[in-house]
Amino acid sequence: MLNVPLNRVEGDLEVRVEVDAGSVVDAWCTGTSFRGFENLLVGRGSLDGLVLTPRICGLCSTAHLTAAAVALDALGNIEVPANAVMGRNLALMAEHIQSDARQTFLMFAADLTSAVYRDRPLHAEAVRRYEPFRGTVVAEVLRETRKLLDIVVGFGGQWPHGSYMVPGGLTHVPSRSDIHMFRQRLGRFRAWFERRVLGCPIERWQAIRSAADLDAWLDENEAQRDGEVGFLVRFGRELGLDRIGAGHANFLSFGALPVPGRSRVHPRAGVDRFIPAGVVKGTASLPFRQEQVSEHVAHSWFHDYPGGRHPMDGETRPYATGEEGEKYSWAKAPRYGDLPAETGPLAEAILSRQPLFVDLHRTRGASVLTRQLARIVRAVELFPAMETWLDELDPDAESCRAVEDVPDGEAFGLIEAARGALGHWVKIASGRIQHYQVITPTAWNASPRDAAGVRGPIEEALIGTPVRDPTDPVELGHVVRSFDPCLVCTVHVLRRGRTVARRPAGGVP
Amino acid sequence: MATGRIQNPSTAEDRAPNLFWLQCGACSGDSMSLLGVDDPDLGELVRDVGLEILWHPSVSRTTPGAFQEMVDLLVSGRKPLDVLIIEGAIIRGPGGTGMFDTFAGSPKKDLAVALARKAQFVVAVGTCAGFGGIPASGETEATGLQFHGRTRGGVLGNKFTARSGLPVINLPGCPAGPEIVGGALAALLRGEALPLNEHQMPLEWYGVLVHQGCTRNEYHEFRVEDQRFGQPGCLFYHLGCQGPMTYGSCNKLLWSGRTSRTRVGVPCVGCKDPDFPKPHPFFRTRNIEGGPVDLPVGVDRAHFLAYKTMAEAVAPERLKERKHPV
Repeated sequence: MLNVPLNRVEGDLEVRVEVDAGSVVDAWCTGTSFRGFENLLVGRGSLDGLVLTPRICGLCSTAHLTAAAVALDALGNIEVPANAVMGRNLALMAEHIQSDARQTFLMFAADLTSAVYRDRPLHAEAVRRYEPFRGTVVAEVLRETRKLLDIVVGFGGQWPHGSYMVPGGLTHVPSRSDIHMFRQRLGRFRAWFERRVLGCPIERWQAIRSAADLDAWLDENEAQRDGEVGFLVRFGRELGLDRIGAGHANFLSFGALPVPGRSRVHPRAGVDRFIPAGVVKGTASLPFRQEQVSEHVAHSWFHDYPGGRHPMDGETRPYATGEEGEKYSWAKAPRYGDLPAETGPLAEAILSRQPLFVDLHRTRGASVLTRQLARIVRAVELFPAMETWLDELDPDAESCRAVEDVPDGEAFGLIEAARGALGHWVKIASGRIQHYQVITPTAWNASPRDAAGVRGPIEEALIGTPVRDPTDPVELGHVVRSFDPCLVCTVHVLRRGRTVARRPAGGVP
Repeated sequence: MATGRIQNPSTAEDRAPNLFWLQCGACSGDSMSLLGVDDPDLGELVRDVGLEILWHPSVSRTTPGAFQEMVDLLVSGRKPLDVLIIEGAIIRGPGGTGMFDTFAGSPKKDLAVALARKAQFVVAVGTCAGFGGIPASGETEATGLQFHGRTRGGVLGNKFTARSGLPVINLPGCPAGPEIVGGALAALLRGEALPLNEHQMPLEWYGVLVHQGCTRNEYHEFRVEDQRFGQPGCLFYHLGCQGPMTYGSCNKLLWSGRTSRTRVGVPCVGCKDPDFPKPHPFFRTRNIEGGPVDLPVGVDRAHFLAYKTMAEAVAPERLKERKHPV
């Protein structure tokens, strides 16, 4: 029995695994802090979610702001002007891209420098690139992401935790000089990304349509082999990261980035958003229906209710007697129908039918390496749309529809954060928040077991993972971090009480 | 910065300074500010200044055993700790146990207190660590290190001082900006004095009101007030701007050297105030007898209202027509 506190997951996530004959046979995911955000929103002003919910997570604050604003737009039945739609999208996309780069190179790749791998031929090179604080790539990522974030700062006045999206649009239109700066920052980042991360222009990367194409691309030239993607793929394969971390093979996206009517950006046929909503179960695609979302608490430290509850009827009542056998987690267990579902860039890539990831999923299934690859190359799809929207942003056009007040009622805002599906469900009564429930991407991925005892996605993905050195179980880190958990982002994250350590859930020794 | 050296009083050993960053009931927003620190940035601080980052939850890598060993050394005093930075509220619930926020099964609040007792400097980065912030308005019994809102005390108590003799240094803000985090670190590593206000916030960054430097000030001056978002006028009378009541250099030291919340049309929400978040709704000014309930720091109500009525009467058309963008 290993009990592993994992750092570098932005907040504390503790994973317990049972190891038999050198590999994981069971796993429990436990986050460790409960801050009570949903309940403290109740009774506050109808617009207060715009200020308070971004502060749920310092990494996903633009995403929370977007979800909060979209819910209020829906409540007021407000049509947001094209300028504001594009502005909101641009801020969210910039947040995604910097998050993907920081997560990959500061957090995920740091594990590749572990002394466990010191005998591997590529280890010294991994240390040179990714050693915390000192690696060459670490230094570049800090510099380049800081510059890219100026786009979000230009809209929000700060990052994280801006409140510049309001029902009806944005609080200001960027000026010509703002837009000029945004274009420069994006161009600079894209040039760095092509040079350092891909080792080729994005068009060359987009020509990769299958696993075989990926191999051919790797062999094509030195720049591609040596770029960060090429290096991660090569070292990752050497370490077997393409063979661990499969999980349930259920994927979920809430969809994001609405495309304004007259934009030159075109979403896939039949979809109104650049990132489509949808569900994949194994290889079957299902249409996404919001009513199918629910949260279970059978294994979570909340007052029990049977089965799952839709978040519009959900409740967050902490139940901390400290003597639960079944409960091991402050996180609820979100389910789609009865399915646990993985969410994030790999889910988006599969649901967007990107040929490379459809092929990898179909022929090899999900893995740590595929999941991480989907994250770091997500920017490839976002750059061109951002460039077009920067051209279409009009400094003289309206950015906010006049709104008298938000009416009473109930609504939801569903979007994709950097880490995947994010939803806010809100009820307003007499101008005050009466009900607020949030389901974060990390709640989906780091979910505990549900009422039927089915493991959450990370728990399931850990099964079968080899653990070579129990004092540095770096393999577990690879699996968990490939989901990019941001546990403080889980509003009702869990703790592992001392009693749970004595009496672990599920009859673990 | 290259001169950053901390004298260890117990051994008189001259060595590179170290830093331990602890997240309690946090969102990582202030950690994102640390990653945004520029000139020198985080990597340069480590490589060029020789700052030893013992631990940061986002970017450090260590094994569980080595982490515990290091904490034991620091808490027992066998390894000196120079700078302890705490991010996030100190969670005391449920029922004072602290078990809403744990590390390896033990309350984080106990770890925070144990490390604070050994540190040369204790810095509360962000409003939550200093004063309790948003979590303190909820059910988790959250509080700040040495304050609970404006009330002295917190988890360390009013009398606490770090080994340097200084109380907790509060750097509120949600988040505290990168220039404040970087500037405070630089000052501490150089051994510079940081004069503090009554809430232990350095005057360097909290000596002026958010209102100072606001580009909407001409509108404010003539009481040209906006009632909806997206306009260039003043946000004080109707949209709940707390800039004239909140200490912070947001409009003096701009974010990324360029901008601030009020410059992008967002009324100040008072995130650097010890009482953030105030209990009444954001973005709505509470009014009484034709004037805001909360007035700029130190002004007299009757005279303020009289002055504002006169100012409105002489407001130029160019402002009333909102011809000047902000």
